Amino acid sequence: MSIFIDEKTRVLVQGITGKEGKYWTEHMIGCGTTVVAGVTPGKEGQQIEGRTVYHSVRRALSKVEVEASMLFVPPMFTKDAVFEALDSGIKKIVTVADGIPLHDAIQIRRAALSVGALVIGGNTSGVISPGKAMMGFFPYWIERVYKPGRIGVMTRIGSLTNEVTAMIVKAGFGVSSLIGIGGDPVPGTRFAEMLPFYEADDKTDAVVIIGELGGSMEEECAEMKRDGLYTKPLVAFLGGRTAPVGKRMGHAGAIVSGGKGTVKDKIEAIESVGGKVAERPRFIGDLLKEVLGL
Amino acid sequence: MKLFEYQAKEVFKNIGISIPEGVVITSISELKRAAGKTGFPLVLKSQILMGGRGKAGLIRFVKDQVEADKNCLELFESDYNVNTILVEEAVGIKNEIYLSITVDPVTASHMIIACSDGGVEIETLAVEAPEKIIREFVDPNLGLMPFQIKDIAFRLGLEGEVLKKISSVIGKLYQAFLKNDAELIEINPLFITGNDDVIAGDGKLSIDDNAEFRQKTYEITREYFDSDAEYESALEGIPYLQFDGDISLMCAGAGLTTTVYDLINYEGGTVANYLEFGGPNYKKALRAMELCLKNDSKVILIVTFGTIARADVMAEGIVDAINRLKPDRPIITCIRGTNEEAASKILTKAGLVPLYDTEEAVRKAVSVAAGDEL
Repeated sequence: MSIFIDEKTRVLVQGITGKEGKYWTEHMIGCGTTVVAGVTPGKEGQQIEGRTVYHSVRRALSKVEVEASMLFVPPMFTKDAVFEALDSGIKKIVTVADGIPLHDAIQIRRAALSVGALVIGGNTSGVISPGKAMMGFFPYWIERVYKPGRIGVMTRIGSLTNEVTAMIVKAGFGVSSLIGIGGDPVPGTRFAEMLPFYEADDKTDAVVIIGELGGSMEEECAEMKRDGLYTKPLVAFLGGRTAPVGKRMGHAGAIVSGGKGTVKDKIEAIESVGGKVAERPRFIGDLLKEVLGL
Repeated sequence: MKLFEYQAKEVFKNIGISIPEGVVITSISELKRAAGKTGFPLVLKSQILMGGRGKAGLIRFVKDQVEADKNCLELFESDYNVNTILVEEAVGIKNEIYLSITVDPVTASHMIIACSDGGVEIETLAVEAPEKIIREFVDPNLGLMPFQIKDIAFRLGLEGEVLKKISSVIGKLYQAFLKNDAELIEINPLFITGNDDVIAGDGKLSIDDNAEFRQKTYEITREYFDSDAEYESALEGIPYLQFDGDISLMCAGAGLTTTVYDLINYEGGTVANYLEFGGPNYKKALRAMELCLKNDSKVILIVTFGTIARADVMAEGIVDAINRLKPDRPIITCIRGTNEEAASKILTKAGLVPLYDTEEAVRKAVSVAAGDEL
């Protein structure tokens, strides 16, 4: 079993004829993903990597069965594209767009919650189950970074994901499923909402979360563990321990405001429920060995 | 983008929320004419983006022209880079209310926050008297409903004319929140005068940078930034923060840059500047290095682990930048990800010694900054 996506998941690509869309569709297929069709308004009938392009999601779904939609759509059109996928009843959506307006993001998340869909992203590299399938863009061909294994990973930090997974692999582990929650202040799906999937996944032994200052997603994971809704080991790496208060460190979500969202608070929350926090990326491997009793 | 108080108040005025009579001045020569409009007593409010202006002495109540001249001069000459002052009539107040709208990421709602104790910092109140804070959650796909406005007004303990007026302000503020793609819109305090008039005493409005394409009203000027370098990099679209340490960071990705910042602090080093040259900026090595070289830093540390941002393209950009700028300080590289082998060859050929481990690169940078050989 994998989380969110495996080699059998039937994936539609919205924005498949764009430069990024084309390039990463090829790699998604290369990684093992079942891409069934694409959508670009005005481009119906074209073929990309042997897949038929349709004008709209509705037209694609009248011809093929789809479980998940991958969006390579610019941020300003992302809300429309997500709502289009939701309208057709697609329940798994990944958007990699970096720069989705906040007000659009909040509407996207609300709409997803109200129909019970999972929207992953934006501002993420996507989702990967190494050795099986991916939606988004990961250098899956670098084995020292994306080796299949039994550690679940969730991340808010795209640029640190490769670094941390490389440390997990270096320590002798591999990755079961990785979910890129994304670096925006309002991601479509939150860490804690994915934890039950890792809990139920018999191919995942422990979960590593890659978080940072700002927001409350790490604290929510601690609450899940405290409430017994997630019982497997939890290891975290958190960026921004030494970040100055009030400065926005890169990601819009990465700011300490009103004394909330400090890394110190997050560490306390995670450790109070028996989770472990790695001070440096390279300590993650040792902490995983410790929590797994190896 | 955070707006200045006077800009936020212009927004309020345009949607029909009352503001005090006021005039914006940029030199003391304009003060007399401004005072003629507002009358005395008046308030001199420094237009800077820092919070806690009152405590820092940047808001002054004055009762006549002599006091006004003296205080105005002090403000313009203060260490806070005050270029603009809002001269406002002093409003006689009976009561003050707090009102703001932001988003709640957890419930995916617009969140209206109100409190009958205006004028204090809401963060302070949240700690000291959380029961006094009223929160109303709005479905962003439905919008604010009239019953919700009424409920907020009743919970604030309002009645009569004031209830009607504040209800109207809440509705208008919500429209302004939507129209301006606001991350935060705040009136603190919202004055209730002796005549039961309702007037915005202060204004905060922070506009989402990601919505810039549909919000083009405000030009980016130097006044919004703490330093020249932060202003210049903002014009380039390069995320940049100025610090005053020894190591200039030129890293790809927000989280990796933040982590490198942490690691430098752990190793006892200091950061001169935070700079992201990943994502859409990965071809801007030349400009990024120019910005780093403006600092008095002792070393430039480049750390990346890119997928779309190809390592070989970044390496070529860096070598090109070195050839053109002839930097006067050592450069340490740790460039990995897509096409990293090609990147490694390009860097080695240019005489650099590429590293592959973030921590090793950080240790090297800290030791070089401390005076060790490269």
